[in-house]
Amino acid sequence: MSESGFMIEISGLTKNYGKIRAVDNLSLSIKSGEVFGLLGPNGAGKTTTIKLLTTLSRPDSGSCSIDAVDVVKNPLEIKEKIGVVPQENNLDRELTAQENLLIYGMLHRVSDRERKISEALKMVGLWDRKDSVVSGFSGGMKRRLLIARALLPEPSILFLDEPSIGLDPQIRRQMWEVIRKTRIDGRTVVITTHYIEEAEALCDRVCILFKGKLIALDTPADLKSSVGEYIVEFIDAEGRLVQDICKSRDEAHEIAKQKKSSVTIRKSNLEDVFIQLTGGRIE
Amino acid sequence: MKQPGWYPIFLREMLLFRRKLLKLGYLFSAMISPVIYLIAFGFGLGKSVQISGTGYLGFLIPGLVAMSSMNNSYTWVSSALNLNRLYFKTFQVFIQSPISPSSIMIGEVMAGMVKGLFASSLIIVVGFASSPDFSINMLFVTALILNCFLFASLGVITGMCTKSHEDTATYSNFFIMPMAFFSGTFFPVDKMPILIKSVIYMMPLTHTNILIRKPQFDSDGLISLGVLILYAAAFFFYGSRLIKNYSE
Repeated sequence: MSESGFMIEISGLTKNYGKIRAVDNLSLSIKSGEVFGLLGPNGAGKTTTIKLLTTLSRPDSGSCSIDAVDVVKNPLEIKEKIGVVPQENNLDRELTAQENLLIYGMLHRVSDRERKISEALKMVGLWDRKDSVVSGFSGGMKRRLLIARALLPEPSILFLDEPSIGLDPQIRRQMWEVIRKTRIDGRTVVITTHYIEEAEALCDRVCILFKGKLIALDTPADLKSSVGEYIVEFIDAEGRLVQDICKSRDEAHEIAKQKKSSVTIRKSNLEDVFIQLTGGRIE
Repeated sequence: MKQPGWYPIFLREMLLFRRKLLKLGYLFSAMISPVIYLIAFGFGLGKSVQISGTGYLGFLIPGLVAMSSMNNSYTWVSSALNLNRLYFKTFQVFIQSPISPSSIMIGEVMAGMVKGLFASSLIIVVGFASSPDFSINMLFVTALILNCFLFASLGVITGMCTKSHEDTATYSNFFIMPMAFFSGTFFPVDKMPILIKSVIYMMPLTHTNILIRKPQFDSDGLISLGVLILYAAAFFFYGSRLIKNYSE
């Protein structure tokens, strides 16, 4: 950890792909032990940021450090500190669950491998499928195995890129339980997601990205209260959904009383924050 | 003992290779083209041809061993690396692991060599069964191992450079196939026109074919050995550099 007490420090980070600026002068700091969310729609720069932090991609300008170690200058040292669950399943489909973990454990020079592999498989509920070839696994099982693999070297920082993408809601909630279990021994967890619920359920702080730029960063509760805690929704005369943001429940009821059509009062969420800041929706 | 960094990469390839070996299609595909050449050129055309006073089969079989080792070492590495990098994304697991770029290179090359040597050994068995003129010496083994190393390293280079899986076939058609036919696999190259001969002598497989057929070490053999070592070193270091500079 750096002297400032942050586990990850990003300053002016920029990455271009041709004429497209995927990450645009991004600066932020992530505290040790927190679950930090990068929230934004597709193309916001979430995955590129993860790639830059995990040595898979090199920035065009700016810097990033993990545990006070520069990511670009000392990639080998960084790789000893991190675990990565990528957005796309990159398990070896033709190998068994146990073989996948064995190879990964050897790549990361994990000691007492046999015990740790069995513990990791048990933690994600795949011990009874350890000798099954991965190509026969469901999407949820593959995601759980990816998490077990990333945790095997006991990294101090875990990066999860869209951990529940493509999973049905029930399996997604099971995945959240698995992710909550990873937050042990003060481990820092960085999650990218475009699911509002996921960011609210898991993250201590959320950074909202849009077109590669940081547009807001705070706790989910503070982000929501910054725009208003209640939303009054109704359909106008032209059939459009209209949303009024209110600071309090009383204010929401006052507005609702003035409407002739039926209205819904609900608590605001991070999507409302995103709409307020960008004028568009996340999904 | 400390486990070398390349070992998990090699082991992974061997685990995958073991599964492929259990499928009948793999053995068949590794042997099919050399056996077709052996039957067509060796048993067909070769019946009426003598080279340097010996039967054509005795000339052809070492060439087929060299060609097979080139094809298998190169193709397996370039295709696997290309697919693992662009489609399955398993190569990214190596890049994000705390091992050096040269360890990744060594692991991939060693695995390619095993595949090349395995396919060559099948041709060697067929060679012993079909021709009394066919024999093996230390130069043969040295040339074969160097050839596998060299082309597995070249496989890493194309596997890292290609932008789609289709590109691997293009590289193969432009570099590997001409080498298979013009580098002395099927006929001696010393009677070729001077201009073509000078191009042919720049191809590494030509020097493998020279060395693999030498009954004893001489000055020609020394030149070919030197050329093969130079190519092997250049391909290996360039491949390692590509891995080191990998960025998405």
